[in-house]
Amino acid sequence: MHIDSMGIITHDLMARVGALIMGIVICMAVFAPQLSSFSPHDFTGKVFLPPGQDHPLGTDSMGQDIWARLLYGARTSLLVAGAVALFSTALSVLAGASAALAGGLYGRAVMRVVDAMICLPAIVVMILVAAYLRPTLPLLIILISAFSWPGGARIIRSQVLSLKEMMHINAARTFGAGKGHIIASHIIPELSPIISAQMLQDARRAVFMEAGLAFMGVCDPGVISWGKMMHQALAFTYLDVWQWWLVPTGLALSATLVGISLLSFSLEAAMDPRLRSITKHGRARLA
Amino acid sequence: MKASLINYLIALAAIFSLNFILPRLMPGDPMNAIYGDEALVAMTPELKADLIRQFSLDRSWWDQLQSYILGLLQGDMGFSYYYRDQVSTVIMGALPWTLLLTGLALAIATLIGVALGIEAGFKRGSLFDRGLVAGLMFLGGFPDFFIGILLLLIFAVSLPVLPISGAVSPYAGYHGLAYVLDVLRHLALPLASMILVQLCGIFLLTRNTMVTLLAESFILTARAKGCPEGIIKYSHAGRNSLLPVTTATGLRIPNLLTGAIFIEIVFSYPGVGSLLNTAISARDYPLIQGILLIVTLTVLTANFLVDLLYTRLDPRVRYAH
Repeated sequence: MHIDSMGIITHDLMARVGALIMGIVICMAVFAPQLSSFSPHDFTGKVFLPPGQDHPLGTDSMGQDIWARLLYGARTSLLVAGAVALFSTALSVLAGASAALAGGLYGRAVMRVVDAMICLPAIVVMILVAAYLRPTLPLLIILISAFSWPGGARIIRSQVLSLKEMMHINAARTFGAGKGHIIASHIIPELSPIISAQMLQDARRAVFMEAGLAFMGVCDPGVISWGKMMHQALAFTYLDVWQWWLVPTGLALSATLVGISLLSFSLEAAMDPRLRSITKHGRARLA
Repeated sequence: MKASLINYLIALAAIFSLNFILPRLMPGDPMNAIYGDEALVAMTPELKADLIRQFSLDRSWWDQLQSYILGLLQGDMGFSYYYRDQVSTVIMGALPWTLLLTGLALAIATLIGVALGIEAGFKRGSLFDRGLVAGLMFLGGFPDFFIGILLLLIFAVSLPVLPISGAVSPYAGYHGLAYVLDVLRHLALPLASMILVQLCGIFLLTRNTMVTLLAESFILTARAKGCPEGIIKYSHAGRNSLLPVTTATGLRIPNLLTGAIFIEIVFSYPGVGSLLNTAISARDYPLIQGILLIVTLTVLTANFLVDLLYTRLDPRVRYAH
């Protein structure tokens, strides 16, 4: 399975829209200090100012510039997304691949843990643990990763199980290739499209979970988070501020999630020849 | 069947141990960790001594474990200092609202999702199909609580046609039909947001299954023997597309309940989600633990029921064991 990811992005409309959205969000995060003239933590003088020249999105109940907070919130979301995608996918690959390669009692035990963890309501468990340990950003990243890996481990395991029996891997084995060589130069490269799809899914889940937890009031007090902003704004729906406080924040969060989903859908379609032929077929009929 | 039952027991055991170990791992007095500093200030010395005796907190871990398990078997999940009542009583008061909301949302979303999925999958590539796929995929990308917030802002804030929060009108004293209508009016927005969130997954799964099924040889046979299109659509392909939907329903249940928790917070719906929100802001740890336990139990029971349903739907599974 060799997938030209750049080729997908330049040819698929879904992927192009997704990449565009993510590009904008990344620019917001990177150039946050240049794009706003206020610090997101500063009290700027007046509370609940409507959008105007100084404040493109007005100010919130603490007199902070909402536009600046929106920009810096993108940093938190992207940081959590990136870190969780790395940790969680690494755990998935480690657990899934080792369960498939070692098999036996170890393999069964790992899959039992995976099956049991998949039926737990992860958000509630995270809330309990975070409430006891007082939430900080690194703790949240670890917690979200700890509950995101089982689904990926299942996919990676089944993939490695079928890869292991493939002709070219058997051929390599007959030439005397060692286990390490087979893993490093046959299995890992073949897995890379699945790993990247898994990373996108983990990133999407992480953005959602971080915002969701913050929306419930479980977040690092020192960090600006879109979920926390929505949680604060929801208390003031009886004022007009929701138009420039609640809605833009929610839209920014949704756009990020939709952007990652679009990239992940198009990567999936590219990897699954059945889905790909469906879309091609649909397009062919259209044309 | 047996394997999945073992999985559920492992999951339950994990939650029990988490609830038992977590407060006792914290530095300092376990009483402090179980209830938190804020709660201890509000507690009378008598209540404190009573709780210490009840949980054997002055004795060894082994004794504590015993009294913990004994308490759970009697349905005792601790004392909520915020509501000044037993945790089990508090949760049982909220659970029916959550079950009403999630149960109805699951049923309606599955019904609409499967119906739309069958139609769209049968007419793959049509305007109807492409429109639905694009629209629902876009909608499915939104986080549940933001869909709830949007509906709240549109239908309760901008056009005040539906109530903004709660499950019944306070002090209205409705009876009979008027009460049911009042409950439904309050349920409309939270229910609509949950259905919108769940619809996407169910629709896409049914549609994709339909597309795969329609290429199978039994469909070709049915066409060859002159079966009407309607029968092929519903009895041949449609009926078989229910199987993956049922499996996915089991996997969707944890997601569904956490979705309900978010939606309840947005609409201040008096279910387990709002309770959890209160418990978090009041740092009522025993209540959070109790909610975790009850939510896990609900998820596992629902999963078990889905497994049972699956063996009824697919005879191959029944004969295989």
